[in-house]
Amino acid sequence: MSDDTGTLLGEQRTAASGFSPGEGEGGDWRFWSVRRVPAALTAVAVALGAGVLLYDIVSVRAERPAMAWRRRLAAELAARPPDDPWVLLAASLVLLLGVGLIVLAATPGLRTLLPMSGASGELRAGLERSAAAVVLRDRAMQISGVQSVRVDVGRRSVAARAEAHFRALDDVRTDLEAVLGVGIGELGLTRRPALSVSVRRPPSKG
Amino acid sequence: MLAIVNRTLLGLIGAALVLGAALVLVSAAGVDWTPYEGSSDVLLSAADRRRFEGRDWWWPVVIGTLAVVLLLALWWLFAQLRRPRLAEVLIDQGESGSTPLALLRGRALEDAVAEQATDLDGVERAHVSLSGKRTAPRARIGLVLGPRARPAAAVDALRSGALKAARTSTGLVSLPAEVRLRAVKHRPERVT
Repeated sequence: MSDDTGTLLGEQRTAASGFSPGEGEGGDWRFWSVRRVPAALTAVAVALGAGVLLYDIVSVRAERPAMAWRRRLAAELAARPPDDPWVLLAASLVLLLGVGLIVLAATPGLRTLLPMSGASGELRAGLERSAAAVVLRDRAMQISGVQSVRVDVGRRSVAARAEAHFRALDDVRTDLEAVLGVGIGELGLTRRPALSVSVRRPPSKG
Repeated sequence: MLAIVNRTLLGLIGAALVLGAALVLVSAAGVDWTPYEGSSDVLLSAADRRRFEGRDWWWPVVIGTLAVVLLLALWWLFAQLRRPRLAEVLIDQGESGSTPLALLRGRALEDAVAEQATDLDGVERAHVSLSGKRTAPRARIGLVLGPRARPAAAVDALRSGALKAARTSTGLVSLPAEVRLRAVKHRPERVT
């Protein structure tokens, strides 16, 4: 991936936390997570496994008896056929783990960060879903008649549920749709989510 | 870069696990072309295990391989924990480029960009960190949005304001940046 900025300093990567193959014209790109946590956990597991095995083998070569668990593991492996239920269970778990690792490696991740358009070759911006919800909720609260509103922002749709304690519900909904429509535009996302608004009277207390 | 390494290693390890497990599961189903001779065989008999033990090279190879794996795993682990921050940015290369004429402290540039970013409308706080090379720095910027924030406008203002100023004042041709916007959750009040 190279930018067309013609820099004297050569190719630069824009995303400090990942790369995005398949960049479009400011649309159609995603943030790719670095996958630090899965990598760290896997590295720890491999290091522990290799370390313990290494320690045990070296101590055996130094004429000390092998650790009890290794002798038992060798005995088990020599006694069980492949279709033993424990073996099948272990193999299934390992299969799931392997598939999980492949999925982690292949998928972008960072599902809560919504890419924003206006990315030139150099600038990549992302808006957290919770932040989008807060911004839209603040806009919705300005509308007269609205007592409380809850905004849920997904990657493809935004759902606003408001409670209006005065004014006609239809009027409030129309205003909400207008204001939130403008608000969504001002979020500047690459993929403009669909909006759904519902308004009801607050449940009466007592 | 780290993302590519991580994903490649995770994918390879995952594939190895899948292959090993699939081998066992498939041979349990009684298929012929696996190393196991059907369900009557055992997983790893004593004869299998000792097959290479007599050779001179066996144990050194095993110990060497395990040691290399251990070191690579530790390197991989510590690679996750580093997040190096750029200490200096090269401003003026001078004639031959071998002795830098002017260096700007990384923290100074970060603070300048952060201050200009905080001045933007709707931005409560900004956090900037530089990484990359002295001649090719990259910026990672976190913006915390406050009430009356307009995210797209803030990003535009950042691009044409703080980032452009950073580029012109340091003479960098380009400063790639990744910006993340988040908001502090506050109680839903009417913000006038």
